[in-house]
Amino acid sequence: MAKQKALNIRQRGSLRTDLAYLSMLLPGLAFMFCFNYLPMPAIIMAFKRYGLAPVPKDFPIQNRFIYSLFVENPWVGLQNFQFLIRTPSMGDYVRNTVGYNLIFMVVGTVVAVAIAIGVNELRNRLAAKFYHTVIFLPYFLSWIIASYVVYAFLSTNGIMNNLLVNFGGATIDWYRTPRYWPFILIFANVWKHSGYSSILYLSTLTGFDQEVYESAAIDGATKWQQIRYITIPLLLPMIVLLQILAVGRIFGSEFDMFYSLPNGSGPLAKVTTTIDVFVYNALRTGAQLGLPSAASFFQALVGFILVLTTNFIVRRFDADMALF
Amino acid sequence: MSTTSLAQPVKKAKKPKELNAVSPAANVIMHAVFILLCLTVLIPLWVIIVASLTPEMELIEDGYKLYAKSLTPEAYGFLFREGSIIFTAYKNTIIATLVGMALSVVSISLYAYPLSRKEFRFRRFFTFVSFFTMLFNAGVVPFYFVSRQILKIDNSIFALFLPLSFSAYWVIVMRTFYTSNVPDGVIESARIDGASEWRTFIQIVLPLAKPGLATVALFSAISIWNNFFNCMLLVDTAEHYNLQYMIYSTLSNARFLSEMATQVSSLGETIARLPTNAFRMAMAGVTMGPIILAYPFFQKYFVKGITLGAIKG
Repeated sequence: MAKQKALNIRQRGSLRTDLAYLSMLLPGLAFMFCFNYLPMPAIIMAFKRYGLAPVPKDFPIQNRFIYSLFVENPWVGLQNFQFLIRTPSMGDYVRNTVGYNLIFMVVGTVVAVAIAIGVNELRNRLAAKFYHTVIFLPYFLSWIIASYVVYAFLSTNGIMNNLLVNFGGATIDWYRTPRYWPFILIFANVWKHSGYSSILYLSTLTGFDQEVYESAAIDGATKWQQIRYITIPLLLPMIVLLQILAVGRIFGSEFDMFYSLPNGSGPLAKVTTTIDVFVYNALRTGAQLGLPSAASFFQALVGFILVLTTNFIVRRFDADMALF
Repeated sequence: MSTTSLAQPVKKAKKPKELNAVSPAANVIMHAVFILLCLTVLIPLWVIIVASLTPEMELIEDGYKLYAKSLTPEAYGFLFREGSIIFTAYKNTIIATLVGMALSVVSISLYAYPLSRKEFRFRRFFTFVSFFTMLFNAGVVPFYFVSRQILKIDNSIFALFLPLSFSAYWVIVMRTFYTSNVPDGVIESARIDGASEWRTFIQIVLPLAKPGLATVALFSAISIWNNFFNCMLLVDTAEHYNLQYMIYSTLSNARFLSEMATQVSSLGETIARLPTNAFRMAMAGVTMGPIILAYPFFQKYFVKGITLGAIKG
């Protein structure tokens, strides 16, 4: 009798069960409400001329920001976006954002897949584990620490210049020479992230059936052919999945990296400023809030559309590869 | 591949890898490449530690190097003696990390559990509520104004951990963890015995989910410890700075000063009196120190967390 009752509860879900589960959701809902859903209506800032106004006594919500944004501030249509497009160097910022993301996607994937295959193939398992542990470490260090490393290497009396002098060369003023920085940023990004993504590939690799490789070997396939015709195709779903995620973020950038590595050096701004860095700088100088809100809105909307679109396209090819 | 091991099925059963292992030459090349990659990680850390232990005058005269003629813990002593502002930043970071970690473990483990239960009627809806936050993000500007003007967490320690405490990504990971590591039968028998949902969760599910909880705790601790953006965005008062922002602002000053010094030689003397360079590298050392020391012990949880996240729920 009691057992029968319990089974019924499990199958249909009683009000009491649902209430208990709902109460478990509360802390998470509170966090998401404050930091994810509450900011969402504020995206209308992109279409308004923002300014803080005093709240009238009879307004139900006594908050200057809410009153100003939703009642007082005038709609300006697409004016903020027009100003944004006319911002000098906006083209550079978009090029930097999208360009670096594309390069990171290609170089990062190649390096991570290579590391995963290498770790998987090494004969000495202990060494393989050690290498992978070390390569994974930078993922856990902040970009600020990375910017200290870059500084120790590239400052006027840094390691690179000391080496150049030792080999009879002339020193380079790295922080004022933009042409090296695309390479420095790409190297730094791969340095920090390849350990992380190679773990994803490695976990896929170790799940493969070893017999496939063995029969290929017996049929005379070289190691290289096995990698080319077995490993890479088997890794493809994971590669595609990570690219979908990356495409969705293509108008975003790792702010910490682009902001801290160049260390605020003016001459480097042209090759290191991304949309995120521009948004932050415009927000903090505070002169024209329309610009950062428009840029921020653009990023949010385009990012959303891109994730949905790439996922849709991938699902048309192969439902298993799609994110949702 | 070698034909001799093919003839020995016993050996093959024991070590299937050997049958199809890479050639010795390729193996040597791979070791060389991996050692090179490892050096790109280890040398930078070595450089920071050496620089933090080098006497200031030697750093100024010779610049940064891979070795020092003499070593001195002076910079670290200076850090702990006069650096009251460092102490405050360290204290803020530790408190924010511990409190934020606790909050994220509680909120994430609680949110993920009902989503893993089939009998929960609103499972799909609340899964979507959290998943949507991964698809759409309002952006920095709304976050900035909501945090400062509505939630009013600016210029306080709350800015350092509250926005980072909850993450939909880890909800999905924890949900996968519950469905794959906590057997349905265990939960059902607890309910048949009359245990409430809360009791089942606390006494039965949580003990089984410990590795998952540890992973969430570690990743959230790292993200709070390493966070720099929220502090820069929401904190203007030095007594609420965290370590990352603190050391960021001193490095920007360092670069500015040293560039000035190379242009105006008289400034060089002023800078020489401050143990600025070694001092700053020591700050970087104590900022990354706890992570590097803890990393080898927790590495398996990190790997586990990442691989779990890759499983589609």
